[in-house]
Amino acid sequence: MSKPQNNRLLRPETLTAVGITAISAALLVPTFGMRAMSALLPAAMLIGLIGLSILLLLSDQRKAAANEEAKPMTQAPKRVAGAFLLVVAYALATDFVGFYASTVISIPLVAWVFGFRHPLGLAAATLVVVGSIWLIFDFGMSQEFPSGRLWEK
Amino acid sequence: MYSDLLNALPEVLSLANFAAVIIGVIAGIVVGAMPGLSATMAISVLVPFTFGLEPLVALGLMAGIYNGAMYGGAIPAVLLRIPGTPAAVATTFDGYPMAQKGEGGFALQVAVVSSSIGGIASAFALMLLAPPLSQVTLLFGPSEVFWVAIFGLASIIFLLGGSPVKGLISACFGVFVSVIGADPIFGTDRYTFGQLEMLDGISIVILLVGLYALPPVIDLLETPLKTETDANKLGTEPIWRTLPRMGRFWKTWIRGSLIGIWIGILPGAGGSMAAFMSYNEARRASKTPETWGNGEPEGVAAAEVANNADTASALIPALTLGIPGTAVAAVMLGGLMIHGLQPGPMLFRENPDVVFGFMWQFLFGAILLVFLGGSLATNSFARLLNLPRPLLGSVIIVLMLIGVYSIHGRMFDVYLMLGFGAIGYVMDKLKFPLPPVVLGLILGAFAEENLRLALRIGRGDWTILFQNVTSLVIVALTIAVIVGPLIKRRYVNKRLKAELGSKTGMEE
Repeated sequence: MSKPQNNRLLRPETLTAVGITAISAALLVPTFGMRAMSALLPAAMLIGLIGLSILLLLSDQRKAAANEEAKPMTQAPKRVAGAFLLVVAYALATDFVGFYASTVISIPLVAWVFGFRHPLGLAAATLVVVGSIWLIFDFGMSQEFPSGRLWEK
Repeated sequence: MYSDLLNALPEVLSLANFAAVIIGVIAGIVVGAMPGLSATMAISVLVPFTFGLEPLVALGLMAGIYNGAMYGGAIPAVLLRIPGTPAAVATTFDGYPMAQKGEGGFALQVAVVSSSIGGIASAFALMLLAPPLSQVTLLFGPSEVFWVAIFGLASIIFLLGGSPVKGLISACFGVFVSVIGADPIFGTDRYTFGQLEMLDGISIVILLVGLYALPPVIDLLETPLKTETDANKLGTEPIWRTLPRMGRFWKTWIRGSLIGIWIGILPGAGGSMAAFMSYNEARRASKTPETWGNGEPEGVAAAEVANNADTASALIPALTLGIPGTAVAAVMLGGLMIHGLQPGPMLFRENPDVVFGFMWQFLFGAILLVFLGGSLATNSFARLLNLPRPLLGSVIIVLMLIGVYSIHGRMFDVYLMLGFGAIGYVMDKLKFPLPPVVLGLILGAFAEENLRLALRIGRGDWTILFQNVTSLVIVALTIAVIVGPLIKRRYVNKRLKAELGSKTGMEE
């Protein structure tokens, strides 16, 4: 999505509108099994979402017909995808490997990948952040962090 | 009514509560000074950490951050022409030319004094207006409360500007998220997909952190900004020496404060609109409008006084009716709710010490701005702009994870937050407004509960929703809020077309 889309159906707003419609329609199905009053609000919202997404779709397609270019969602799609991947990887690592090990690796890794490559600065920042977290949360507040599912008996 | 206000004062002055305001103001200035980080994001990240704290300590931190961040945004606006927060855009107009002339220090001092004055005025407005309004709202029954919730949603969607369709989609999404979990009356599972973690519904904090904290972090990593500032070239004098030079701004301060307070009370409007309006009005009233835009200190004063004057006043509808005036106020409502404080009329009756203490904290936060953001601190804070953004991003990711995990001690919430973060990123990039999502989550459940209660009272008769004058007045206001901007938009389009037509006619 870094370049303006030539294909009318691949415009970001069109894709979003189609996605919202499809998901809302799928979520509407369970409301048929609920009591009327329980289903009232969710059904109203989902029907509203479907109607509004169709309006959004029509408005975006009208813009496409008028040769109005769709603005790209990001200037650097690889960096955005990389950032999301690293965040998800960090969460998974915390869950499976444990909080402290993941954090000690994650802080310098993310900063290094995205352009801060000063080894001393990275080491100092990691030490200060992880040390402060241990001191405040673990030692001070007895907060337990994930120890890692892999090491659980 | 106002005796509760005085009774709350001693508690606010206790060491822990006062220290919370000080820490909040400093943290707010730091966050506001960093382009890409906002008060909304800072408070979203902070909210989960306040679980174990006393309510007034948590609220003091939030009040301090809000006040500090609104001024902090002026630092990069003046030094780099990059507004630290959206509300600081108007500050760049004259602040940056002043910095280029070697008067950056004075510009920042004008900004800090004006911010403080705006914040003080706003806190007084909150103290004076919220208590009587809360007395009125105490008379509301379930049907009126239902309509107030609808009014709140409608106003934030239609007064926010931008596309009403996108605003409505955001609100529907927020309300839909609010129904996830067990039905409050029948106990039926709604969209839990067999996950026990979702039976109690989705915590507002998870949504807030996902929507407001993750997208800016991704932005930080997407476009690393290199900033080079030399704090030694600011030309800063001690603040007490520069105060006499600011005396001539008194009219601008009064005008800007009134504009900021009014904009803050209006749901959907925000600090940036207040700053622009105040700047324009001050320029129009100036005897030398030609100097504006070239480094006129009064321009900085006009923008900064207004963007701070909308801080506490945005909480007037938020605390009394549960309708936040700005995105930050919406996040603060979330902060109140995690401490078991339900915004609305009962808040003033059941927790007067907390709610009035919170008002005092806003006032003290505004006063502390002058001392903490004064001359010496300004130089130090200017250096913050040189912090490496990728490192900052990676640290915020860790804080987000800790905060969300700490709520219930489970990774499920972290994954949920990441999901909301991805949705928030797409919404942000496609210009879907985020405040209606938060408001939808807060008001959706509230509206449903009161609607069902009203229908029970009326034995299933829907006309009960229209059977008293107060309900009808709120319905009329809701219609006005929806129809008004649509008519205005049509009128503006018509006028633009007419102007365009007359221009082309003249050219022919």
